[in-house]
Amino acid sequence: MRRVIDNNLLTMLVRLAVGITFICASYYKVVDPGAFAKSIWFYHLVPGSLINIIAIVLPWVEMICGLGIIFGFSYRGSVVVANVMMLVFIFALGSAIVRGISLDCGCFKAAASSTNSAWKTLWFDLVLMLLALQLLFSRSRRWFLTRL
Amino acid sequence: MRNWDSSTIFKQILVLVLVSAALGFGRAYLVPGGIEAVGKWRSLSGGDGPIIPPAADEGDPPFIDINVAQMEHSTGRTIFIDAREPDEFECATIPGSINIPFEQLPEDDLEGYLNDALNGTPKDVSIVIFCSGEECDLSLHLARNMQFLGYTRVMIFFGGSREWVKFGLEVERRRNCDE
Repeated sequence: MRRVIDNNLLTMLVRLAVGITFICASYYKVVDPGAFAKSIWFYHLVPGSLINIIAIVLPWVEMICGLGIIFGFSYRGSVVVANVMMLVFIFALGSAIVRGISLDCGCFKAAASSTNSAWKTLWFDLVLMLLALQLLFSRSRRWFLTRL
Repeated sequence: MRNWDSSTIFKQILVLVLVSAALGFGRAYLVPGGIEAVGKWRSLSGGDGPIIPPAADEGDPPFIDINVAQMEHSTGRTIFIDAREPDEFECATIPGSINIPFEQLPEDDLEGYLNDALNGTPKDVSIVIFCSGEECDLSLHLARNMQFLGYTRVMIFFGGSREWVKFGLEVERRRNCDE
């Protein structure tokens, strides 16, 4: 098991998958922070005064994290932040589904109304969380821009 | 996780967040289309849950409150139907609503009438039906009819246009009714 987790090629593939997903997910939010702010509001979890601040900062965190994971700079911090973000996303999406709030997650595009989509995204997030955990535990250090 | 010392990770996370904040606020304030740091989001504690009329029965379409109504409206995909008479509809209604007056529904071929009124919209599209407010049950009756005809995602906003206005939300006026 340890050997599989530490496999260089597997780790690189997972880095690409997680990194590209984070970059793609951040794109629409960076381009249209207003729509992303609306998506955050839909979750009914965050005080109104914090919504825009999160909508302004979070997409860039996602994007830089994605780049850091792919290219291997600030790698450890990026992997930890990616795991924390996945936990938060899964909690937010799960709580919205449990509370019966009809929403699209706002993960990859502007907000829309669809509970089915929320379920699909929750499963997708769970898979992505598993991949992010692999990065957390892998000791592979190949193909990095920086040593840390 | 071996050799992952916590101070290095903390520093990297700090730099990551600071750089992100700089880029985000730079984008927000320097590039057109940005948003302000503090938005005008209505407090979600403002609503007291959906208004459910005494006439409601088990099996009726779900009743939604102002928060959910606003959320559905913001999606741009949910159809809003004003069940009041055209003169009330024209005075002030929820923006983008379609007027289907319950009192004017035909007795024959209601399904075809609704299909035409909704431009052949599929029956699984989200629909919010409303009228004036608590004293008006046109929305309830229209919703029951639509549910019976197979529309699967009908919701009733029983607070209606009055609650919409009470919360300071934008209304659409087709004619001036103030004089």
